[in-house]
Amino acid sequence: MADPRPDRSPEAPRDRRALGGPGVLLVVVYGVLALAATGRSVLQISEYFDRAPLAYLLSAFAAVVYVLATWCLARGGSWVRVGIVACAVELVGVLVVGLASYLVPSAFPDKTVWSHLGAGYGYVPLVLPVLGLLWFRRVERGARAVPATHPAPSSGDEGTAASPE
Amino acid sequence: MAGVIAPLTYVVVGLAVVLCVAAVWYAVRDRLIDDRLLVVAALVEVGLLALLVAGLADLGHITDDAEKATFVAYLVSLPVIPVGTSFLAIKEKSRWAMGSIAVGAFAVGVMAARLAQIWMSYG
Repeated sequence: MADPRPDRSPEAPRDRRALGGPGVLLVVVYGVLALAATGRSVLQISEYFDRAPLAYLLSAFAAVVYVLATWCLARGGSWVRVGIVACAVELVGVLVVGLASYLVPSAFPDKTVWSHLGAGYGYVPLVLPVLGLLWFRRVERGARAVPATHPAPSSGDEGTAASPE
Repeated sequence: MAGVIAPLTYVVVGLAVVLCVAAVWYAVRDRLIDDRLLVVAALVEVGLLALLVAGLADLGHITDDAEKATFVAYLVSLPVIPVGTSFLAIKEKSRWAMGSIAVGAFAVGVMAARLAQIWMSYG
């Protein structure tokens, strides 16, 4: 397959590969958060589940969704749709749990990733799903803009944004 | 062994800061990953593995179960980060990948500092 795509294209990806450009950064941030949430919830549930069952179950759920979103970001392709759902769930989760932890603190004797809108994690859990959704949308658009058959780039006048090196 | 952990954590935090700054510098200059940066990442990794061994060998130092759990979770997760980001940067050659090394190194620094904090609170 002779792909005319240049090796280093910082512009929008041509197919639904989600990893190009800023996607790689998102994968790492998601991965770290998934790691933190998973580690935390495994230990919470195995060591002292009785202390705050609701909070710990939420932690575990959040961890699963973060792992799923990381996977979708890394894989791209048909996983993009799944990733959009995962990010949407995260956004709803962080907003609902975040507000609930302010309004009904007694229901959350211990923290989850989503408590207080993710304040314990530098509000990263609040910002990340928004960035994820924006990125997935861009990947979707990039895929739609270029149909399955790659049109050979007409020499010169196509890449107005990219300056030749 | 107990005396090793606090200084070792500081060394790791220092190396992570170096890696973070270097990766940001690379990203700004639009330079791709090279051997020099990989060596720094490898040093961070060696530090983290040493920390993992030393920490697990002397877990009794932390008496509170919850804090011990957090400590172990961090110890085990940390070594994954530099390997993951370096692998991505080699696979995905772009300045964004350098940014991912920087973000990963930052996370390592923060988590290692938290490790030191937990450890020190037990004297």
